[in-house]
Formats: sequence, structure tokens, C-alpha cells
Amino acid sequence: MQSNTAQRQRRQRFDRVIGEFHHDMYRYAAWLSRDSSIAQDVVQEALLRAWKSLDALRDDAAAKPWLLTIVRRENARYFERKRLDTVDIDNLTPAQSALLAEQPDEQLDDVRKAIYALEDDYREPLVLQVLMGFSTSEIAEQLGLKQGAVLTRLHRARLKLKATLTSGAVE
Amino acid sequence: MTGGDAIMNCEDYRQAVAADPSFDGGAGHLADCSACQAFRREMLALDRTIGRALAIDVPKLVMPDLPMIDNVVALRRRQRLSKPAWFAVAATVVLAAVLGVRMLGSGIQYDSLADEILAHLQHEPYALRVTDQAITDARLYKVVPANIARMDHSAGLITYAQTCIINGNKVPHLVMQGEKGPVTILLMPDEAVAEAVPFSDARTRGIILPVGNGSVAILGERDEQLENIQKSILQSVMWST
Repeated sequence: MQSNTAQRQRRQRFDRVIGEFHHDMYRYAAWLSRDSSIAQDVVQEALLRAWKSLDALRDDAAAKPWLLTIVRRENARYFERKRLDTVDIDNLTPAQSALLAEQPDEQLDDVRKAIYALEDDYREPLVLQVLMGFSTSEIAEQLGLKQGAVLTRLHRARLKLKATLTSGAVE
Repeated sequence: MTGGDAIMNCEDYRQAVAADPSFDGGAGHLADCSACQAFRREMLALDRTIGRALAIDVPKLVMPDLPMIDNVVALRRRQRLSKPAWFAVAATVVLAAVLGVRMLGSGIQYDSLADEILAHLQHEPYALRVTDQAITDARLYKVVPANIARMDHSAGLITYAQTCIINGNKVPHLVMQGEKGPVTILLMPDEAVAEAVPFSDARTRGIILPVGNGSVAILGERDEQLENIQKSILQSVMWST
């Protein structure tokens, strides 16, 4: 009886946490992998792993960085397993084009293509800062970098985007 | 992010704003610089656009089959420390602080030169500032006087210079801007090493290179390409003693 109650409480807690951060998990996975089907696979794996290790999350207030760390690791595992190329900055792959096509706002197409074209090292901290709302020190912790390195990457990411969008060099 | 009044020029201000458009330091500079005001507006507008672009549509959540977890226990309320426990923690902190001060006073013994160098970086984190602002020749020559080494800006963009103590010797501590972040260089004319000594910790990768009767330590982010910097430093440094 007590065990059933504990199981139910655990599941309720999981549903509450995932319900709040599922959008962030998918978007982070999508911008890491640049492929919607890979992102969905990664999120599925991340959900399983989060469920199994939920008891390691001591405080639900820390759920967001905890879940995004799991997504990041699952994404790395996915690419390691499949041995996929992680960077193709010159041309959009069919999967990337498909992900863009799913988004109805054509006005933002050029911006999305320019973000795709950023190197992983620049794109990831930008996503964590602009989309996830993390501070530079939180990003440093998340990525295992020094804060100075994060500032460098964010600075260069924005200047690259600005240059690309200003020159109209998006393919 | 908060900043300080230390940011006084356009270059520094724009670096900070491009890294984080919510940066709210440098108000004094901003008030008098219309170009930087325009740059800040541009970065804020760019960020709003980036934010909209990143917020792609999310497919409906499909929850995987979640396995039953054994040994699930009901969550317990977090326990607060009792008063005696607080006193014990406080006493431990005070004792550690006293011992720390005494150890600093008597000189901490490190297992290796690499360990001391890594510890030194932890004590001087402000050196690792991201900037395109080179230090002046006067500053460089003050920290790297001719009787220690002959060095100039041909090695790269040097953004920090300070004389530090490593293993009891005065050592020029320089910072250059690398591809992945700031790179630290320690010129150690009195530290002879027989061969190159690579070392690292969780976030830093470095190498101590033999140069004449001394050595040079070069440290950067783990994924920094140190080889190019090594080459330019070794071409620039020439011990005078």
C-alpha cells in the first residue's frame, strides 16, 4: 500500500516536472541535433533516463538544468552510437530543411539557417542563454567551461549572426 | 549580468553587450556614447529575433513506457540542521580558514610545478577577461623587462600582464586571447624542465615547455588549439640571462 502510494507520488512528480520543461527539452535537442526526428528520439531516451534517476533530483527547482544536462548527454550518445557527422555548416541537410519546413514563420527562415550554420561551440551557449534564460555562469557550469570562454563564444556567435544576416549570405 | 564602472571604452562595452545584451554595466560610458547606444539597441533587437527563431514548434509529448522502479520510498521533507550541527559546521569553517591562512603564510607545498600553476590560475581568475584590448607596450615591458626576456606583441594579442610568484620566483604572467577563450602564459626563466610536461584538470589543458635554461607554461581551455600559440610564443621569447 505504502509502496503504491510512493510509486504514484513519484509518477506525479515526474509528470509535473516533465510537463513544465518538455518544450525546453525538445527545443534544446532540436538545436543540438538540427534534426527533428533525432530530437524526438533523444527526448524519448532522456525521458527514460530522467525517470530512472528521478530520485537523484533533490530539488525540483533545479529540474531544468538537470533535464537539459540529460538531453545533452543523450544527444552525444546518439551521435556516438550512430557516428553521425555533427557539423555541416555549408549546406543544409534534408533533415535540417525538413525541420525548417515544419516552422510556419518564413520571416525567420534566414535567421534559423544562420543559427544552423553556427559551429556547435557557438550555437549551444547561445541557445542556453537566449532560449533557456541561463546566465553565463550557469552556462559555464552546464558546459564545463570557464565563464570567460562562454563570454567569448557568445560574443562571437552574435557577431557572426549579425554579419551573416547583414550581408544576406544565408543560403 | 552586472558590470562595473571599470568598463570605460567602446571596445570593452561592445564586447560585454555582444556576450550578453542584458549587460547593465558601463552606464557612465553609455550615457555619453551614441554609437554604443545604437550598438546596444541593435544587439537587443538581434536577440529578440534570435529568441523568436529558436522557439520552434514542439510536437505533442509522447511519454515512453516507463518501467516500474523498485524500492521507491516516499519523499521526505528536507531536514534542517539542528543548532549543534550548525555550530559544528561553523567551527569547521573557522578552523579551515585559520589553517588556510597559516598555510598561505608558510608557503603551500605543491606536488608539482603544474599543480602550482593550476592553483595560481584559480587565485587570479580576473586575468581571464575576454577582450580585444591589448595592453600597452609600456605595461608589457614593465612586466617582461629586458633582463628577463625579449618579447613583443608579435606573439599575439596580449591582454593582461602581471608579475606573479611561482615556486618562489618572480614570473611574468601574461594572457592572450585564444580561439576558445583566454590563454595564460607564464614565463619562467628559473624553472628548468628536461622535456615538455603536458598537464590538465577538468577545464584546463596546459603544457610546460623547456626554453633554454628555463621554461614557459601555456594553458587554455581543454579544446583550445595551443600548438599555434606555443609556436608564436617560442619564437618571441628569448631569455636574456
